[in-house]
Amino acid sequence: MKFIAVLRQVPDNEAKLKIEGGQVSLGGVTLILDGMDEWAVEEVIRLKEAHGGEAVVMALGPERFEEALRTALAMGADRAVHLVAEGYVDPISQAQHLAETIREEAPTLVFTGGQQADWDSQALGPALAEALGWPVVTWTTQLELEGETQAKAKHDLDEGAELVRVPLPAVFTSQQGLNEPRYPTLPGIMKAKKKELRKVPLSVQSKVEVLEQTIQERQRLNQVIDGSKDPVAAANQLIRLLHEEAKVI
Amino acid sequence: MILVILDHDGSHLRKGALEAIARARQLSSLGNLAGLVIGENLGAVAEEARNYLPTVYTAEVGSYTPERWAAAAYAAVQKSGAQVVVVASSRQSRTWTARLALKMNAALLEDTLESSTDGSRVLASRYSFLNRVTEKQAAHLPVVLTAKPNTTPPAEPQGQGGIEALTVEQPGAQVEVLERVAEQKKGVSLSEATVVVTGGRGLGSAEAFAGVEALASVLGGAVGATRAVVDAGWRPYGEQVGQTGKTVQPSVYIALGVSGAVQHQAGMNKSKYIVAVNKDAEAPIFKITDYGVVGDVHQVLPALLEAAKKLKD
Ligand SMILES: Cc1cc2nc3c(=O)[nH]c(=O)nc-3n(C[C@H](O)[C@H](O)[C@H](O)COP(=O)(O)OP(=O)(O)OC[C@H]3O[C@@H](n4cnc5c(N)ncnc54)[C@H](O)[C@@H]3O)c2cc1C
Ligand SMILES: Nc1ncnc2c1ncn2[C@@H]1O[C@H](COP(=O)(O)O)[C@@H](O)[C@H]1O
Repeated sequence: MKFIAVLRQVPDNEAKLKIEGGQVSLGGVTLILDGMDEWAVEEVIRLKEAHGGEAVVMALGPERFEEALRTALAMGADRAVHLVAEGYVDPISQAQHLAETIREEAPTLVFTGGQQADWDSQALGPALAEALGWPVVTWTTQLELEGETQAKAKHDLDEGAELVRVPLPAVFTSQQGLNEPRYPTLPGIMKAKKKELRKVPLSVQSKVEVLEQTIQERQRLNQVIDGSKDPVAAANQLIRLLHEEAKVI
Repeated sequence: MILVILDHDGSHLRKGALEAIARARQLSSLGNLAGLVIGENLGAVAEEARNYLPTVYTAEVGSYTPERWAAAAYAAVQKSGAQVVVVASSRQSRTWTARLALKMNAALLEDTLESSTDGSRVLASRYSFLNRVTEKQAAHLPVVLTAKPNTTPPAEPQGQGGIEALTVEQPGAQVEVLERVAEQKKGVSLSEATVVVTGGRGLGSAEAFAGVEALASVLGGAVGATRAVVDAGWRPYGEQVGQTGKTVQPSVYIALGVSGAVQHQAGMNKSKYIVAVNKDAEAPIFKITDYGVVGDVHQVLPALLEAAKKLKD
């Protein structure tokens, strides 16, 4: 069987973002494998360990994405395919291009993150499914293969959850609770350097143009009340401020 | 033509549907409006919908799967010739609209805060980078657009439209639902609450949430939770706020024993006022608070509850 995870490289959660010329500038920012994609990578490695076959990682993005692919290889993926495209490419166009390569690979299933930590998009998984003509299960918290042609999965809804049976091949997107990703080990990192990482240059026309990015942080009042000595007085003051000053209660 | 796909609960249109109609009306220079309701036994919702739109399509396809909803929406797009589709944003709609955008070879503008047109393109703004960045996007038609809840005043009734049933071919490979686990909801819905009181790991136990529930109830708000709390099994996942939980934007967000990790902030950083109680003055949450109390939540929360009760009496 063959299991594919599609991933992105995104700014580290703690990174301070800057805007330059109306666009987010990632210069000097630590970039990491997207946390939700990490669950997807872990899942395909586990599937391969349990059922045999191959765990392949794939990405569409700029040169720098290679680092995130190497991280996934160091975790235990067998090989990587990198569709190299610079600049912003919207998720629908990404799906159209990735689908061609995925179809050639003919995998058992594809896994990707539930929401991208840079573009806050949830579209890639379902758009891939559409491009491939497969069903999709989003926000997956549990997955169990039933042979090679179907799987049982649990996934989150807007409210509550659902147990579904899904014919394979299918696309799944990750949600917290799916697994606990492993850390790359030193031998894993050494081995990853020798694993196959195929690059395919791509030129893609994005369907969406990003005109301007801004960071509009609300000015916060940052008023601090010491509640360590007299918690009752602090609580009274807070309730008064919320009622009289902010007028929100 | 602009197609609005109307979310409903089986008997009534949801608030999101009326907001989506309002969004579609803002784009009316791009074409006439039509609505679509998808599901089963759609008579009542179609009757309600015709009070808002000149044409209402119905697609009786059964219960929800992303494949069915996308197929139904695409049937209405082909029938109406729509070049713009507007839908209320939810996890569910963000799944099937991505499928629809691909069928239409359309641009997808996800979870937008506002939208307009310059005559040939649709312009929209939305949050990105875990809710930290606001970005303006533009796309040529065709466009599929999802509208973030509570960003547009709901539409008022207007005219009296006709109803037309569509035939939709069932999609091939699709998910089969074996079991749906509904979370029992009590009180105000988290996504729509104007006051949210969230407890974090600092509360120390599931039992300590009795105080959180009491405070939320006195203030007419909803209870939220951090992932640490949900992982510990103290609260249901449906209450989780953040990157992998819900996004809320209340008038006041009260965080009790919450450190304020970026993934948590992603779900609440746009709240009008942010309040925190934390014993650690260096906790990251204090960087984004309007009013912060440095202290032990076990002492401050009971006092807050008393003061709130007094205020509301
Ligand atoms: C991909 C990904 C997605 C995630 N998504 C989410 C998400 O959607 N939502 C979410 O919340 N998290 C999410 N997280 C987890 C997030 O990173 C944090 O781990 C989590 O928010 C921490 O929860 P917490 O603040 O309750 O706990 P902690 O970080 O442990 O903070 C507890 C706080 O309580 C304070 N405290 C302790 N005792 C007391 C006391 N007696 N009185 C007052 N204060 C006290 C402490 O000082 C501390 O600041 C995600 C993580 C990842 C990797
Ligand atoms: N959420 C986003 N939506 C659209 N464009 C983005 C987004 N985030 C980053 N970009 C831009 O995409 C361009 C290419 O970035 P990169 O792919 O990181 O090299 C830069 O101009 C980024 O600012």
